[in-house]
Amino acid sequence: MNQIITVGTSHHIAPLDFREKLSFSESQLTEALQLLTEQPDVREATILSTCNRVEIYAVIHSKDGGAVLSEFLSNYHRIEPQELKKFTYSHQDVDAVRHLFNVTASLDSMVVGEPQILGQIKEAYAQSLAAGATSDILNRLFAKAISVGKRVRTETNIAAGAVSISYAAVELAKKIFQSLEDKTVAIIGAGEMSELTARHLVKNNVSQVIVANRTYQRAVDIAKKFNGIPLAYDADLSFLVEADIVISSTDAPHYLIDRPALAEIMKQRKHRYMFLIDIAVPRDIDPEVSKVDNAFLYNIDDLEAVVAANLEDREQEAEIATQIVKEEVAKFQSRLQTFEVNPTIKALHQQFQGVASRELGTCLDKAQLTSKQQKMVEAMTQSIIKKLLHQPTKNLRQIALNPDLIEATDDSDGDHLQYVRTLQELFGLEETDTTE
Amino acid sequence: MNSLFFHTLLLVYLAGCILHILFLSTGNQRVAKYGYWVTIGGFVLHSAFILLRWQHAGHLMAHWYDSTSFLAWAIILIYLCIAHLTHLRTIGVFVVPAAFIATLVAYTLQTQENTAIPAYLQNYWLIAHSAVIFLSYAAFVAAFGFGLMYLIEERKIREKQHTLIYNLLPALGRSDELGHKCILVGVILMTMGILIGALWTQYVKEVKWTWVDSKVIFTIATWLVYVLQLSIRQVFGWRGRKTAYSAIIGLAAVLFTYVGVNLFLPSIHAF
Repeated sequence: MNQIITVGTSHHIAPLDFREKLSFSESQLTEALQLLTEQPDVREATILSTCNRVEIYAVIHSKDGGAVLSEFLSNYHRIEPQELKKFTYSHQDVDAVRHLFNVTASLDSMVVGEPQILGQIKEAYAQSLAAGATSDILNRLFAKAISVGKRVRTETNIAAGAVSISYAAVELAKKIFQSLEDKTVAIIGAGEMSELTARHLVKNNVSQVIVANRTYQRAVDIAKKFNGIPLAYDADLSFLVEADIVISSTDAPHYLIDRPALAEIMKQRKHRYMFLIDIAVPRDIDPEVSKVDNAFLYNIDDLEAVVAANLEDREQEAEIATQIVKEEVAKFQSRLQTFEVNPTIKALHQQFQGVASRELGTCLDKAQLTSKQQKMVEAMTQSIIKKLLHQPTKNLRQIALNPDLIEATDDSDGDHLQYVRTLQELFGLEETDTTE
Repeated sequence: MNSLFFHTLLLVYLAGCILHILFLSTGNQRVAKYGYWVTIGGFVLHSAFILLRWQHAGHLMAHWYDSTSFLAWAIILIYLCIAHLTHLRTIGVFVVPAAFIATLVAYTLQTQENTAIPAYLQNYWLIAHSAVIFLSYAAFVAAFGFGLMYLIEERKIREKQHTLIYNLLPALGRSDELGHKCILVGVILMTMGILIGALWTQYVKEVKWTWVDSKVIFTIATWLVYVLQLSIRQVFGWRGRKTAYSAIIGLAAVLFTYVGVNLFLPSIHAF
């Protein structure tokens, strides 16, 4: 019987150096897929290889498909079986389906809700499709997995909210300004966090960066990284008139910007919005500043609170997403079960149709009926076929969905496929790839 | 027939309101989509209703309730235009209920037959004059919606509460910009409406232009509120909270001009 198997590793159970050993490079993938599908029992395969996880999904005609995949990985990457066993997991059938759905829903990711994984899965599937390594079952499985990933992202807010401080700052800027495209950022002082935030802002199309520092040379050095304008900063704040986003992180012991100073600047810039980010400890910007109209101030604690709240929200959304995955797994499972009997049902219908149309052909030639009568006979024949096959078709699907309905006999394993085999033998149906 | 139409329309708009509000409280994009399509359905139904009334009563604005119903229709029209142009569904949360309330008011007014508009006024001048004025009201309702959205979002940003609503509402700059555009469109339409009204008095003998009519006075006052706001924005860069407040004050003036004058003050426009 065919099994859906996944064997793999992820950041949950394996250190980076093991994941590196197990990973497949872009150029290795096609070759590896070919080697894998050449194995006698492997019917279909897809390999997913990202920096956080390496997984093989396969349809295997064997009692122990997991062992087949583990052996393949061990041989391909020359890893000791014991080490491989320690750092990999293996899931079968429904569990494998659930695992894949969890992965595409980003529930298994390091940061729940991260957007990359869905694209990576699409990419991996497209590659194995191109290599001819997938067929009926994996095609359906991956199409469904990708749609589950999309459903989770549209129906829950699992991907909403920044989960790092610099992204939180960028996100806030986007909530204040319509677009960052024609905006100017001013960095006062220096520091890793302010540079990182500035870099994210530049990536989001901020048009200009001003770097103000007490020492001009330092300003020049930092400005170079952003193609920005260096400024030697003293008590003069007039450059802020041009700045839409201000990131301050000096080690000054007192406030650099207070409320009256900012109110004056806001007037000069015609009250266009200003977003001030105070990363410095002790603070550079007087909290009173946030009372100025159209000026918005966030300090490091505020941003950290935003990130913490977002992470908490994602956890809650993950619970809804888990429910969606559960629902979809159940649906897919029943489809998978009827999937095994469908080719036989189809063959049976085709056989009946074939006999009917042959007999009808010879009969109609002799009988010389009017076209109306001819139509009636044809319709009656169709109706007889339909009614004859209705009950067996229904029963077969029913049994496929609930294998427990059949009692196991001594000489069989009691699975629904015994009916499929009987039908095939009795009616002389041709075997297809997906059943026995 | 009227009642059946009204009942169905009220139900459809109510469903539209509920779906929009549900969207804002759950963030489910699918619900937003349903709300949008239900509102479109309501709009189609409403358009059919207005055309039937027109045919039946022989006039688009035969009755006070016709005008209120038209206002509701215009609000939905403006909403659908905005939603189509900007893909913004959150504004629906604020304006679809306004349309629902207007429809409800129209339904209640339907029973008061004495508010019919005098026959001598019923001509194409009236249609042009009132349709344009009501479209401007609808634009002001949308501006009011953007004003509310701005104020809520600003409050969330200042209080550092990054809740679901914070995530769903558009950026401050966007609400402000769109609200400003709605006011601009509203002022242009209102100016046209006033001019059409003035021309009407020049060409038709039965209607005399008068400055002392209370509706005229309050309409001019409302117009001034918006024009003043636009000018200050242009010269001093007023934006954000001040624009939002003026959109709210402006709508209060509109409401008084439309409802208050009809109820409390004598006027040739008293219907």
